[in-house]
Amino acid sequence: MVEFTLIDILRNLGVGARWTVALSLVAFIGGGAVGMLLLTARIGGGRMVRGLVSAYVNAFQGTPLLMQLFLTFFGLALFGFKVSAWFAAALCLTLYASAYLVEIWRGCVEAVPKGQWEAARSLGLSFTQQLRLIILPQAVRIAIAPTVGFLVQVIKGTALASVIGFIELTKTGSMIANATFKPFVVYGCVALFYFALCAPLSWWSKRLERKLSAAPV
Amino acid sequence: MNSSLRRTRRFFLSTLPVVAAIASGGFVPSSAAQTALDDIIKSKEVKIAIPTDFPPYGFVGTDLKPQGLDIDMANYIGAKLGAKVELVPVTSANRIAYLQTKKADLVISTLGKNPDREKVIDFTAAYSPFFQAVFGPKNVVVKAASDLAGKSIAVTRGAIEDAELSKIAPTGADIKRFEDNNATVSAFVSGQTVLLATGASVAGNMMARNPNLSAEYKLLLKDSPNFIGVAKGEDKLRLKVNEIIAAAKAAGDIDKMAQKWLGRPAGELPN
Repeated sequence: MVEFTLIDILRNLGVGARWTVALSLVAFIGGGAVGMLLLTARIGGGRMVRGLVSAYVNAFQGTPLLMQLFLTFFGLALFGFKVSAWFAAALCLTLYASAYLVEIWRGCVEAVPKGQWEAARSLGLSFTQQLRLIILPQAVRIAIAPTVGFLVQVIKGTALASVIGFIELTKTGSMIANATFKPFVVYGCVALFYFALCAPLSWWSKRLERKLSAAPV
Repeated sequence: MNSSLRRTRRFFLSTLPVVAAIASGGFVPSSAAQTALDDIIKSKEVKIAIPTDFPPYGFVGTDLKPQGLDIDMANYIGAKLGAKVELVPVTSANRIAYLQTKKADLVISTLGKNPDREKVIDFTAAYSPFFQAVFGPKNVVVKAASDLAGKSIAVTRGAIEDAELSKIAPTGADIKRFEDNNATVSAFVSGQTVLLATGASVAGNMMARNPNLSAEYKLLLKDSPNFIGVAKGEDKLRLKVNEIIAAAKAAGDIDKMAQKWLGRPAGELPN
């Protein structure tokens, strides 16, 4: 039987945490970029485009991330598509995060009074200029808290990627717990690692919120 | 992870073999079968699914590298096939999915043989001994299956012991199912359940680690040696692996591995 010291446990969890961070970053960046594109389409597009975005949001919000991962990784393989675990995870996390972010951000844009749009238009600004110069700076401030709240959920949600073979933080913890039979120590450490990843994000969002609300509109 | 996600996860893990069976029967061209052995020989690489949560068959060392009887067996088979082994860590819930989708060529992961599994994958000869039983504290009396009534029992969902327990358990037995062996053992150790249904090796480790629980062997569920899983219809690969196992038995290598990890020889194993 192997003996893990606390140092061994922490060191190995650190290795696993790198995957958690990598998967989270993919979700943040991919989800943010796709979410932004969808947002523009959602508020600037015609009825048809709005309907498509709304269908996309419903599809990815209405199905569990685990199922999306499972179907992408194993499901596509059944039909002969070779899908790597990285590709499946990156694709699913991007789609999943973007579907939530576009709705969060749409709400924030709609929270900006309609008069701001009208005033911007009366100055002769184009749609993208209205959005970029007038609406988004105001919407961003409202968006910080819900966006960061969702990102923190995503960090913890990356644990689902262990089903397609990722040895991330939670999976590493469960492997060590099995070898050591000390689940409370190991999972306690896992919880601390997640806290160390999530808490600074929340603190940073609070600071950012304060800073932005102090700025003149 | 919240409970609804867990439920969904179980649902999808349990339905995948069905989906796979439909898909492989309906859509995947049959000419795709029977090529696994040739592919392994050509690429000199074999992907073998192994457990990482099941000591002493497969567990991690302080360097997080898998070790154990199944890992030794995987490397042994790889060496005999003349191929480099790529170990694919799996859990008991997703190991069959890996095989069906050809993300693993072989599953060497304490896989017991049962009729449900035989519908979706094929098995080679047995390579290591194993038995499942119910374990519990000394002061709890379990002499027969009927004694399980009114007691809570932790078991890993979808494992052989789950099926066996469900068969013999009287109504009134409170079977609590967990996602993996680790959660199952944790539930018993932390007192969430009175009894534990699991493999002998897992229980042995659990008892060694927690002498204060004074747990002991109660009731045999099933003597079920481990087999190597092969994708359905890959007969060439299956026969080749059978050859390797037969030679290993004759040479005493199978007994040596059992001795090293289980502390006793493999004994008689079914072909």
